[in-house]
Amino acid sequence: MKRLSALCLCVVFILGVLFTGCVGNKSEQVNGEPAKIELTDDDGNLIKMEQPAQRIISLYSAHTINLFALGLDEQVIGVGTSDSYPPQVRDKEVFDYKSDPEKVIAANPDLVLIRPFITRSNPEFVEALKKAKINVVSLYPESFAEFVPYIEKLAVVTGQEEKAQSLLKEFTTDIQEVANLTSEIEPKVRVYFESTENQYRTITADSTPAQMVKYAGGINIAADAEGIREGTSIASYGAERILEKAEEIDVFVAQRGAMNAGGSPHAIKIRPGFHAIKAVREDRIYNIEEKLVSSPTFRLAVGVRELARMFYPEVMDELSKFANKELVTREQMAQMAVMFKHKGIFVPSSKYYQQTHNGHVYGDFTDVKFTDPAFEYIETAVLSGYMEGKEDKFYPYQNITREELASVLYMLADLEDKESQITYTDLKECSNPRQVEIILENGIMSLKGNQFKPQDPVTGQEVVECLKKLADVQ
Amino acid sequence: MKKRFSAVLLIVMLMTLVTNVVGCGADKAQATADKKEPTVDKKGILVVSFGTSYADTRKVTIEACENKIAASFQDYEVRRAFTSNIIRKKLQERDNIQIDSFEEALTKMKEDGFTEVVVQPLHIIPGEEYSEKIIEPAAQFQDSFKKLVIGRPILTNIEDYKIAAEALKVQMPELKKDQAVVFMGHGTHHPANACYSCLQLVLNDTYDNVFVGTVEGYPTLDNIIPQLKEAGVKEVTLMPYMLVAGDHANNDMAGDEEDSWKTILKKEGFTVKTYIHGLGENPEYQNIYVQHVQDCIEGNPMGLSEE
Repeated sequence: MKRLSALCLCVVFILGVLFTGCVGNKSEQVNGEPAKIELTDDDGNLIKMEQPAQRIISLYSAHTINLFALGLDEQVIGVGTSDSYPPQVRDKEVFDYKSDPEKVIAANPDLVLIRPFITRSNPEFVEALKKAKINVVSLYPESFAEFVPYIEKLAVVTGQEEKAQSLLKEFTTDIQEVANLTSEIEPKVRVYFESTENQYRTITADSTPAQMVKYAGGINIAADAEGIREGTSIASYGAERILEKAEEIDVFVAQRGAMNAGGSPHAIKIRPGFHAIKAVREDRIYNIEEKLVSSPTFRLAVGVRELARMFYPEVMDELSKFANKELVTREQMAQMAVMFKHKGIFVPSSKYYQQTHNGHVYGDFTDVKFTDPAFEYIETAVLSGYMEGKEDKFYPYQNITREELASVLYMLADLEDKESQITYTDLKECSNPRQVEIILENGIMSLKGNQFKPQDPVTGQEVVECLKKLADVQ
Repeated sequence: MKKRFSAVLLIVMLMTLVTNVVGCGADKAQATADKKEPTVDKKGILVVSFGTSYADTRKVTIEACENKIAASFQDYEVRRAFTSNIIRKKLQERDNIQIDSFEEALTKMKEDGFTEVVVQPLHIIPGEEYSEKIIEPAAQFQDSFKKLVIGRPILTNIEDYKIAAEALKVQMPELKKDQAVVFMGHGTHHPANACYSCLQLVLNDTYDNVFVGTVEGYPTLDNIIPQLKEAGVKEVTLMPYMLVAGDHANNDMAGDEEDSWKTILKKEGFTVKTYIHGLGENPEYQNIYVQHVQDCIEGNPMGLSEE
């Protein structure tokens, strides 16, 4: 209970900053004249703009994610080289701060968003843009506590203050919801978080990922780790200290990403001596995308949820809430399938869209927007082969039919052919009778009289019961 | 009949090619041997594979083959090389395991005073890896040893195909009429991709409902599915036709992604079993490599019968 209040306090703090924090000034509109915007960016420069930006180039993937979340699809005219989220980034022109600034200047942006790292590593590039009278705004929150002021600055330069406030509120609520769910659980899961595979490094106790672990209800067993240098979230730890706490590690989480990456579950499992670790013995080693737990974006709320699913799968992926008399839609089915398998949501790597893919490509459904609550579940269910779309559509709101359910159940498990003879009169109406047959043989679904009724809808109650049977058969 | 004939022709062509490269090397080595004539011969076998970063599979495949070779040729010191730089780098950085590249290993063997070296690749086909990562770089070491002989991969001459087909019996499940085994070969853009189709024909002589597909060549799974349906197959067992059960076997073959072979076959309504063991685990395949080393020692690296 104490822990819950501590979490509440944190969230209240965030909200407090949100509503009182004043990071940018926008003078009141007079007779419809454009508002004048002033703010100091994280490079210490005073930025003055006559009106919110209309042609934005974002050269940092976190800015891009947040701009799209703020609904600035049209205003963003260009993105950086490693952007892969949201899927709309594919339609945008790509710009590189390591190459000729002329390309950026020629695109005629009224705002180029960078971060201090770019100013430090490529000062000539930044200088050239400024000389061309382009507004260059450098932003980067050094810690999670600075997330809200950072989003507010983004909102000020793009004129999206209202949207930002509602998104931040939603963000806080989402995190709070997970925190509430996990706060009551005892005993708490003890977690080791690996930030780099080299030298088995972890994270500092005040870093963003450490905060996310806390919100997800995990106890960081390496809270005593110290940063490898001032201002970094990467902390030394090493095999010896990890193994000293072998019995205390319930869950081993390693981040995956382009910059800093921990090991794969297999790599971690085979390290000399690591079998002594409880999480290794119990097969509770997980990977999480660095972007979901480190980058300052609204997707941190997704990261917290994913961590909580790793820590407390039975609670977080509890399916009984679906067990009602309502008919199940395809998007609900996708969510139930992913939860049933405790499958981590699919996150595209920074090179995802530069690679070729067979079959469905992340974000390609025209009837599922990345802002839809079920987006992650639908993409994950399809990319894991549990469900399929038809051409470029998923039809998320259509009710699932009995035959579709049979197919999902079939894909979720590796069932055996029992070779019993089940006959039903409407076999010809099924497009994939083999899948139906095996589901019936294994007793996961049953006939209605002597018919399968492939086109009939199913209720939440029925789906949950089928999934329960499937779990028992496995 | 026509099909079989062209496959045979291809093998003969390939064999001739490989024989030429390997053969030349051996002759040259003999020539230099006359010059140096060290007093005691130091003999070694260098076992070369692509490598894998999966430790458990490495142990039961690559290491098992090396151990069997070492046990069979006790006068020889057995050493290891991996051709994949990415895997070597990964093992070095991640697991602190240092493994030599092919050139590094030969250089060290030269420095350590070896006079006779047999290079035995654990490769399946005489493809790009074999010709560019082994045959070509080996050329510059011909003068480094009194004798340097390079062994052949699993599928080289016709007899090899027959032996390889027979050796699968150890891992082949008993198949009912509606059951099939589908092997996942690697496949390549190299002309040696034809090896897989030749293997298919040779397998057809012994087995029913056993198919060979490839991940990166021809035929693909899409070519095999209609044949499975035609044969009335309901259940498929997937097996890698690769030395190790690594990334391809775990992900492309048996993974839970929408484009894995398992998922694709399940979507088509087949029930699927997976056998995630590399050929290197099959004792009969280990014996094949031992025999290929033996052939090198006997001066017949291509394993050609005397007819």
